[in-house]
Amino acid sequence: MPGHHQVDALGHAGPYRAVHREAVPDVTGACAAELSIVPRLFVQRSLAALRRGVSLPAEARGKALSRAAELFATGNFGGLSAEAYQHCVSRVSGLPLPVVRAAASIIADTARQAQTSAYAALPRGAVTSWSDRATREGAAVWTRRGEVFAVNAAGNHPGVHALWLEALALGYRLAVRPSRKEPFTPYRLVAALHEAGFGTDQIVLLPTDHSVADDIVNQADLALAYGGDDVVAKYANNTRVLTQGPGRSKILLAGADWQDHLDMIVDSVSNEGGTACVNATAVLVHGDPAPVAQAIAERLRALPSLPPEDERARLPVQPVAAARALEQFLLRHAEGTTAWLGKDGVVEELGDGSAALRPAVFQVGRADAPQTGIELGFPCVWVAPWSPSDGIAPLRHSLVVTVVGGDDTLIDSLVQEPTIRNVYVGNHPTYWMRPGVPHDAYLGEFLMKTKAVLSS
Amino acid sequence: MAQHSSYSDPILDCPATETPRPEELIEAAMKWHFSPQTGSPYWLERAKSLPFDPIRDVRTFEDLKLFPNVANELRDVRAEDLIPRGYASLSDLYGVYESGGTTGAPKRVVCMVDWMDRWLAFSQRHLDARGVPRGLNWLALMPDGPHIFGAALREGARRSSGILFTIDMDPRWVKKCIAEGRAEDAGRYAEHLIHQARFLLQTQDAGVLITTPPLLERIAKYDDLVELINRKIKIIQWGGAHMDADTRRLFQTEVFPGIQMQGGYGSTMVLGGSLERTDAGGTDWCIFDPLSPYISFSVVDPATGHPVPYGQRGQVVMNHISKGMLLVNNLERDTAVRVEPPPGQMGDSVADVKPVASFDNQQVIEGVY
Repeated sequence: MPGHHQVDALGHAGPYRAVHREAVPDVTGACAAELSIVPRLFVQRSLAALRRGVSLPAEARGKALSRAAELFATGNFGGLSAEAYQHCVSRVSGLPLPVVRAAASIIADTARQAQTSAYAALPRGAVTSWSDRATREGAAVWTRRGEVFAVNAAGNHPGVHALWLEALALGYRLAVRPSRKEPFTPYRLVAALHEAGFGTDQIVLLPTDHSVADDIVNQADLALAYGGDDVVAKYANNTRVLTQGPGRSKILLAGADWQDHLDMIVDSVSNEGGTACVNATAVLVHGDPAPVAQAIAERLRALPSLPPEDERARLPVQPVAAARALEQFLLRHAEGTTAWLGKDGVVEELGDGSAALRPAVFQVGRADAPQTGIELGFPCVWVAPWSPSDGIAPLRHSLVVTVVGGDDTLIDSLVQEPTIRNVYVGNHPTYWMRPGVPHDAYLGEFLMKTKAVLSS
Repeated sequence: MAQHSSYSDPILDCPATETPRPEELIEAAMKWHFSPQTGSPYWLERAKSLPFDPIRDVRTFEDLKLFPNVANELRDVRAEDLIPRGYASLSDLYGVYESGGTTGAPKRVVCMVDWMDRWLAFSQRHLDARGVPRGLNWLALMPDGPHIFGAALREGARRSSGILFTIDMDPRWVKKCIAEGRAEDAGRYAEHLIHQARFLLQTQDAGVLITTPPLLERIAKYDDLVELINRKIKIIQWGGAHMDADTRRLFQTEVFPGIQMQGGYGSTMVLGGSLERTDAGGTDWCIFDPLSPYISFSVVDPATGHPVPYGQRGQVVMNHISKGMLLVNNLERDTAVRVEPPPGQMGDSVADVKPVASFDNQQVIEGVY
């Protein structure tokens, strides 16, 4: 396939164009680029280089991250300008271009602030260096649990790459395995970090096939892995691996007048094209859920089906076959529910081999209906009745719960529930995020530990 | 086997330095294997159920397709019944060897002394072409025992006036570990092998290292072993598993620069196979040319059995035709890219060999071996 755009590996010796390259298809199935796939030996040597590497001092890390933020936002990497990069991501991931652009801007912001936000996790009693005066009396020093951190990344949304920047800020050396579906974002970010001063013995990009992915995780000290329930289960008892699994974010309308919050609800379902773990999967309604479902459906129905690179695009686009498979899955699981939108399917073909995934709104009969846990990569929401007697059980295992109305006892129990990871009280969309406020706990809680140092 | 005088044939018994033309080898071999005085009990019996007459109908490479793939029958046949009657006695037998057992119960083949001579002459021609001097010691981290590789190494080192240092390796145990989901045990076994190799590399002179790609990868983790190899070894011969083009390039440019590497690709079922083309003309691929016409390959579409176009991937079919053995149309567990043969070679050359995902309903497991 000569003439295709190339996405190289960024290994211990710099960019590497492999003999073994894989096509990265766009939403029509056409080859958008070729990705170099590196073998096990390459991974082994790059990980060895990271292990031998020396991290930059904290201050230099902060400066290099800021510089990388600018380069990522505006530079030219792998032959792609910022604009071309965003277009490319949109075409291969099917994410609406405005979503990609916003995500790129968030990644740059996160890089700029990574040094500050990473240290937001610093325990109040701890200092960051043994040379701090506090250690003369004996003090906790915040230290890394390891040196080399591996990221087995997802490709659903560029935003996933904002998370691991804090590991770099904390002085870890990183191996990033990109998703083979969307390698452009991590390529651009790692290339920018290299140019900004992080050496190839401090961060590498290792595109590999599935069989080598475990090597990266196993050879690092600590790792971050994205995936479904299977990945979460696989690493459940592995204290070296942090997983980012399904979000299953929810909105609980616990009593307030829901009409005032309709914008927030619709936005929570459909912002980011409905592709993020922070998009609302279920809305639980105290009272009759039907008018809520109807109102959400009315609003979502208006979203246009457009190619992803269209400025007005809001819905995700997939190859027709993939879209049809999702549709079948949805309709099979929606049996026995009341359809407000998407009764006859969600696929609208765009005529070029791709299809927009249109929103779906289904009403289920119980707060604990199993459908409320079905998270799909487009605006798809399950609306359920809820009453205080249901308690918070139906809201467990959620990345985000936005709760509107409800008393302090309810909010207390949501905040105390270990399997609910973020709670937003009031008219705040489930996708709300800000650097310095944890997305799924501070990464620093996983990467760092305190140790006592007495240095008088 | 009763004592009797041995039969000979000018084509089948030609000197190991000479190469018969494909058609004359096929004609001579069909006569030999399907004549009551010279053929093996196995083939003479099997011929009764063939819907064609091998002596009359099989004359060209193309005609070999008439034969059914009998490889699975070799799991049960008595070894004695595989030896052509034309040999005088068991003193002509070098040994009985078995397939790896990757896809079920092992299959057995007989290797006669005259075949070992031919294979070693082929192997030595390649070493000479690469300028590897005689008299180097060999260090092998390769399977021995029922696997023909060990026997060929023992004989090869002896004939090239070197000492062979060996380490025990049982690839079937490794495969079993992996099949049972105990990859960690397989890893520990590989480390155990490498630990033993370290003693030899540290204390002995060795110029030729023979091992498998997965073990070579593990060796590359240890800076001290890499340093010892770079200091002592002149050529690394690899085989027994596959090596992709990027891994090969990394070995040659980063890990073992300046050391020649030569790949081998074959199968116990054809008593050998092919060696890496010495001058591949600048391609990234490692191209394998078989010991033609005795061993020949076709790269086919498994659905139709027809050859795929050159440059395309298909499944590898192997043939062995010699005085001591006849096994044709053996569909191997590998896929490869079909490559144009050098002039005069029977059948295809192959490149970028990979295992197929599943074979005969058994999951194929490559493992550290």
